[in-house]
This record gives sequence, C-alpha cells and structure tokens, in this order.
Amino acid sequence: MLKATIDADTFRELIDAISALVGECRLHVSESGIATRAVDTSNVAMISLELDAAAFQTYSATQTEIGLDIAKMKNILGMVGKNDPIDLELDAEGRKLSVSFKSYRYSISLLDTKTIRKDPNPPTLNLPAVVKVTGEVLNNAIKAASVVSDKIAFKIDPTKPAFTMIAEGDTDNIKLELGKDEIEFVQVAEARSLFSLDYLKDMGKVIGRSNLIEIQLGIDHPVQFLFTIAQDSGRVTYLLAPRIEAD
Amino acid sequence: MIRCAECKGKGLCGLPKCPIMQRFYALTDEKPQSEYMGPSPSIFIGSSGYPRVVGGPLLLRESDTPTDWIARGLGMDEIVGIRSKTIRGSQPVKNVLQKAQEVALSSRPLDVEARFEKPIRYDLSFDGTVAPIGLCGKLSHVSVLDNAVVEPAVDRYTSDTEVLATEAASALFLDGIDVYRITSLLTAGLLGSKRRFVPTRWAITAVDDMVSKDLRKRVERLLPLQEIFVHSALLYGNRIVVLLLPSPDFAFEMIERWQTNSLWGGKEDVVVVDGEKRKKQRYSPIAGAYYSARLAVLEYLAMTGRSARVVVIRDISGDYWAPLGTWVIREATRAALKSPPVPCADLQAGEAMATALLGSSFWQGRSELIRDLRSQRTFADFV
Repeated sequence: MLKATIDADTFRELIDAISALVGECRLHVSESGIATRAVDTSNVAMISLELDAAAFQTYSATQTEIGLDIAKMKNILGMVGKNDPIDLELDAEGRKLSVSFKSYRYSISLLDTKTIRKDPNPPTLNLPAVVKVTGEVLNNAIKAASVVSDKIAFKIDPTKPAFTMIAEGDTDNIKLELGKDEIEFVQVAEARSLFSLDYLKDMGKVIGRSNLIEIQLGIDHPVQFLFTIAQDSGRVTYLLAPRIEAD
Repeated sequence: MIRCAECKGKGLCGLPKCPIMQRFYALTDEKPQSEYMGPSPSIFIGSSGYPRVVGGPLLLRESDTPTDWIARGLGMDEIVGIRSKTIRGSQPVKNVLQKAQEVALSSRPLDVEARFEKPIRYDLSFDGTVAPIGLCGKLSHVSVLDNAVVEPAVDRYTSDTEVLATEAASALFLDGIDVYRITSLLTAGLLGSKRRFVPTRWAITAVDDMVSKDLRKRVERLLPLQEIFVHSALLYGNRIVVLLLPSPDFAFEMIERWQTNSLWGGKEDVVVVDGEKRKKQRYSPIAGAYYSARLAVLEYLAMTGRSARVVVIRDISGDYWAPLGTWVIREATRAALKSPPVPCADLQAGEAMATALLGSSFWQGRSELIRDLRSQRTFADFV
C-alpha cells in the first residue's frame, strides 16, 4: 500500500537522480520512506537512494516493491508545474500507480518487479581519500573536461594538499587544481583514478544542483559521490567504476 | 579535402552535378514512351525541395524488393539494368498521393494504367541510400486496376490513427513485416497519428532507426552472449565483418573503408568511424549504411536471444562500382550473420580473426568500442 502527497520539485529531484543512470528501477516502499538501488546495464554506474517519509507532505505506506518505468515518469513530469503537489496512490493489486496533479490524473502501469534486475550488491571499496566540494564546482569541471576529452582523471595529492582534475584529449588538455580555500579535505590520502565522462556528464546534471558533495576516492578504484536531495530528507550515493588505460 | 565518402552524391562539394554520379549516365536502351500499363510494386518520393517534393507510384515490370534480387542471385549490372528501366513520376506528390497509398498498402504489385504529359526521359539517379531509378516523367493520369492485398497486421496499424509511427513500425516488424514494406508504408504517409508522406530516402533510415531503438531495449534485457564470435560475408565488393563481443549491454560501432579508387575513395583510402554507447548522438557520418547495419545486428541478437557489443567493419573495393542503396549493407550484414560464426577465445584472437577475414588491419586501433572494453572496469572487478 502506498498513498502519499509530494511536492513536484522534490519528486522531480528523485526521478532525475535515478534517470541519470537507469531507465527502470525497483522501488522499495516501507513505513519510513522509499529506497532504491540500481545499476546501469553495463555494470559501470550504480545509484542508491533513500527518501524519508518526511520528504512527503503526507505519507502512509506498508512494505511493498514496485517496478517503475523511470523514463515514462520523467515524460509525465514535464506536464507538472513547479510547485504543484502530486498525489501518488498504488492500486489494491499493486499493478498501477495513479499520479494526480491539478486536474490531471495519470494511471501508470507498473513493471513486473521480476523483469527488473535484482538489486546489485555494492562492491568492496577501498576509498581512503574524502573531500567535500559544492555540486556546481564539480559539475563545471565535468562540463569543461567534456569539451576536450571523453575521460577525466581525479587526483588527490596529500602533500599540498590539492584535488586535481585532468582531462586529456587527442590534441588539447585541461587541468583544474583546487586547494584548501575551495574545497574541504576530510581525509587526506593519495588517490588517483580515471573515469568516463559519458557517465559523469549525466551524473553532473544532478550533482550540480546540490550544495555539498562528498567525494570518496582511491587508487584505480570506483569513485563514490554522496549528497542529499529534498532538503536533506533524501540521500543519494552514486558509484562509478574507473577506466584503466593500459598502454 | 573532398569528403566524397561522407557526402555520397548529396552535392556538398558545391558542384552542380556529382562528378562520380556522372559516370552512370547513358546506360539505358529504354524507348521514350508516353503511356505505361503494368505493375507498380512500390512508391517513391524524392527529398529535394521538401515539402514541395515530387513522386508517386514507381512503375516497374519486375520485383522491387532487394531480398528478391539477392535470392535470385542477381549481379550488380543486372540490378542496375532493372533499376534503369524503373519509371518514377516527377509530378507533385499530392496529385497522386491516394493512388500511391493504394500501391504502398498492397503486399503484391498492383496493375496500373498511367499516362505521361510528355514521353518519359532518361534520368538515372543514384544516391547511396535509395536504390537507383532510371526514368522519369510527369504523370498526367494514373488509375489503379487491381485491388490491394493487405496483410492483417498492416491493415491494423494503417487504420489506427492513435498509435505513433515509431510504435507502429516496431509493432509491424515484430509481426514479421519486413522493413522494406514498412518503409513503403511510412513513405506513403500511412503510419502514425499525424499522417504525412515522407521522402523515400528519409523513410528508409527512419524505419531502420525506429525499429532498432525498440529492438535495442529488448536486447538489453537478454543474457550476454557466451563467446566472442566473428562473422563475415561479401556482397558486391562490400566485405562485411561482424565482431560480436559478449556484454550485458548493447553498444555498436561501424568502421567503413572506401579503398583507393573505389566509388567514394578517391586517390587514397578513406576510413570513417562512428559508434554509440548508451545513446546515439547526432546523425551518423556514415549515413544510412550505419542504421541499416545496426538494424541487421540487432535483429540477429533479438532472434538469438543474446546481448552483445558489436563492431561492424565494412571494406569496400572497386568492385562496388555503383551505389545501390543502403539495402546492400543491410543484406550483406544479414548474410554475414547467417554465415557460420568463428568462435574466438579472447578479444585479441577476435581482432586477429577479423583482420584475417578482411585481409587488412586498417581498422585496428580505430575502434573506440574495443578501447573502451579494454579500459573500462565494471563493479564485477571490485567484489
């Protein structure tokens, strides 16, 4: 069972965060809120997300699982105004979700949860370096890098300390170095990993809206981005596997 | 630098007529006539000057379907011969649209009676995407003598004005209607919720793309292929090598080489590479061929029930002396995938096999997809 009212902007944040990586997901609904964990088809990017009941204007639910076509939901949200409240209600059989706003009332067929990939197991990570930076700085660096290349290296030099982002293309390259003034070093350790901008660009659009991102980094290891959505009542973790160039 | 391999006769160099196309003038022996009585197998609409375009039913006494030509084992000169006898109407489409729709709707050629304003003239046009057409004349009158024979699935989707063209095209394809038929229907403006006729050249690529997008979604739900497989075929001087690389997601890349002195090659080899990972950005520089090859590949994966990343390498020699249309690539890739696969132990062996089949290593190091496969780690590496 699920019956809830949510602010359109908050709901859009939720859907955007998921749709950056996957087109469909399995949503776990419980008394305390909703949660999902999904990995993209290539097994390269992962999202885990929790949204507390407090993020909703009204919320009542019992434990259940629903399969959501995120791409379809995103299209529907195009119709909703900025601050319209959205009513969500699951039908008795759990097959359809009704989404109502203003005078519109959509009835959306849910996906059979059996057809969606199982929740992925989080990988074992060894990410000793932790920094915090504003979403805007990170997103701008990603955008700048994608002009010259299709990959970007994140590095942490513990001696200075400094956080460096380097993108090298065939002919051009770009380097951004952030010191103590621009960025908060939570745990200093040596780290360097290379990532595909293809995924980062999509993540960046979501990350860019957040005030503070925690970046966890290792050596040739996945990167983990942690940030909150919905005025801190939702938490998102993005994980991205690295590239390792053998040349 | 003249980039004929990317333009393929569209006229991007600014010359009034493509110098390469000029070679094909004066090849026919058809007598000027001002009347035609016989079958009309399909419809043709030009793209120049859109939306004020010319076209109508195509008049031809032989089969118009490329799969038939291949089944009959026709050579290139025979196909050019058939096509040079083909007559296209050069009157505004709206004058004959209804008649053309009847022709497009029918699964077998309909008999028509046509009169031309002036005797038809020879105007063989090649354009890389569409099969060549030899004769043209302004139709002053057309009447359809037959009744259209329509498959149930075609009847259903052409009568439905709610369903979008994209959905209708993929639904028809799943019902076993071939892309050549679907292209005809789309050209005649018989699909979709906002019906309009579509120039043949655009409809061919549009159908390839619409059907592929739907197939891609299905393929990505499938289990990965078990082994690396290499397939190969040769059709009219087009050597196609398909490298299937097991993966839970789909990615596609096409590498095309026009050899020295081949049709678009010029004085040196021209290699064009294009690919897609998660989604296709911009129109492919390989043009319609890219979409046709991708369709053949996805069709194969959906049929075998396995997902893979795919590299298609097309090597074109001078034997391909006239551009026959993108159907050549679609059929060559289909033929390659029908050939017995060569299993390879690892990526290196796969690359070596592809090079051996091509007899050249021009493509190695150019594949972004293979580079990506080597360097991108997945979460499976971090358990």
